[in-house]
Amino acid sequence: MPDELTVDSGALIFATLADVYLSSGMVDEAISILKDGLSRNPSYTLAKIILGRAYYMKGDYDEALKILNQTYQDAPESENLNLYLGHCYKKAGKQDEAVKFYKATLKINPQNKEAKQEMEQLDVKAVPEEPVEPEVPAVDETVVQIVEEARAIGEREEPTIVPHVADLEEVRKPEPTVEKPPQPPGPEPVKEEFPVKAPEPIVAAPVAAEPPKKTEPEVIAPVQPAVPHAEEPVPVAPEPTTAGSIPLASLDEPMHRLLKNKTVRGALVCSKDGLPIQSYGEKRTDLDEMSAVIGAIYNEAQDSFTFLKEGDLEKFIIEKGDETLCVITAGDNLLVVITQPETKPGLVFVYARKIIDEIRELLG
Amino acid sequence: MKVEELTRIPKVLGAGIATEDGFIIDSQFTVGYDAEKSAAMAARVVSRIKKSLKVDRASTILYTQKNVFFIKEREDAIFFVICQKDANIGLVKIRIDRLT
Repeated sequence: MPDELTVDSGALIFATLADVYLSSGMVDEAISILKDGLSRNPSYTLAKIILGRAYYMKGDYDEALKILNQTYQDAPESENLNLYLGHCYKKAGKQDEAVKFYKATLKINPQNKEAKQEMEQLDVKAVPEEPVEPEVPAVDETVVQIVEEARAIGEREEPTIVPHVADLEEVRKPEPTVEKPPQPPGPEPVKEEFPVKAPEPIVAAPVAAEPPKKTEPEVIAPVQPAVPHAEEPVPVAPEPTTAGSIPLASLDEPMHRLLKNKTVRGALVCSKDGLPIQSYGEKRTDLDEMSAVIGAIYNEAQDSFTFLKEGDLEKFIIEKGDETLCVITAGDNLLVVITQPETKPGLVFVYARKIIDEIRELLG
Repeated sequence: MKVEELTRIPKVLGAGIATEDGFIIDSQFTVGYDAEKSAAMAARVVSRIKKSLKVDRASTILYTQKNVFFIKEREDAIFFVICQKDANIGLVKIRIDRLT
């Protein structure tokens, strides 16, 4: 993995984890993580915006305003930054300022429901004068990039932490997005202009029936209408953990053998970035959080060992009161085995060996 | 005293006790190992585990490419032990559990 990617994933993980915490209402934990992460990566604009949001959720509007205003010059086109600045000014009783930022939010994304509602509440004409294309939620480059990153790990399922992208917006510096070459106009009807089901997140080729003079493709086609906005109900749709999921079916047999062990409660495979890939065994509702947490612990420990020149972290065991977590690295991924406290870790590692080989082969 | 008991185990490279914020209370390491850095690392890992998993006391064993680190937290102090990979990890763990 190139250095810059390592840095980027390390940066991403604390923001992702903080976002999970915020979604769970753990505002103080989120603030703590963000402050810690920002001390190491002070120019990470996205994290600053999430920190501002965290202070807003905590009710510390002055601090939120301070942080968001400081960040504004780095990302004036950020939808969430403008939205939360609007929220903060509204709470501070500065309606004119609030309206200004809500208008800016709607200019960036005319479909932003929160901004629209706030404008309605403030009795201001909300809709910007520009023509608005219907049913087209904006999808930012970052959203696309995150989905791409997850896919790049092995062209497997999409990350189930999709809600995080609500915050992981337009903030990251624009990087070159992979673009499809413009396709020549074809005879296909225009109706499929916005394919709702299609998971292709990157680039929409020019619409078939458009005049041929338009040769440049539209960057970032609106694809997933379910991209959540802040404070909307989060439509988490965990990937099914059925045995036949592609392409991890070959893990089923060794996993089954591992899970036969009475002290093993379950197992999950996640990326080192903390994105869940597949889970097995007992159904839990906290697997997304567990993946993010394990990713965070792994990255923190790995940083420490790099500093100590101890080489890479290969595996670790965490004893945690009611259960023990055995975590084993498998290429760019982690296998987490959740066991009862009285389990025999040696036995878990023996069973895990075969699974690790499979994961390495499948996911790299 | 506790630290010395641990370092008597074969292939144990060193052991120490640190405060929650990573300052050394006591340590005994073979030459070439920086007890202060190890204590700081132990405190950092403990802090992360406690925050992330919301546990009162963190206890972990970390296998790196070179060595194995035991970190166990007890009453405002963190025990940490470093041993070679081919040490009897089970024995070291039992001793640590007994001492803490």
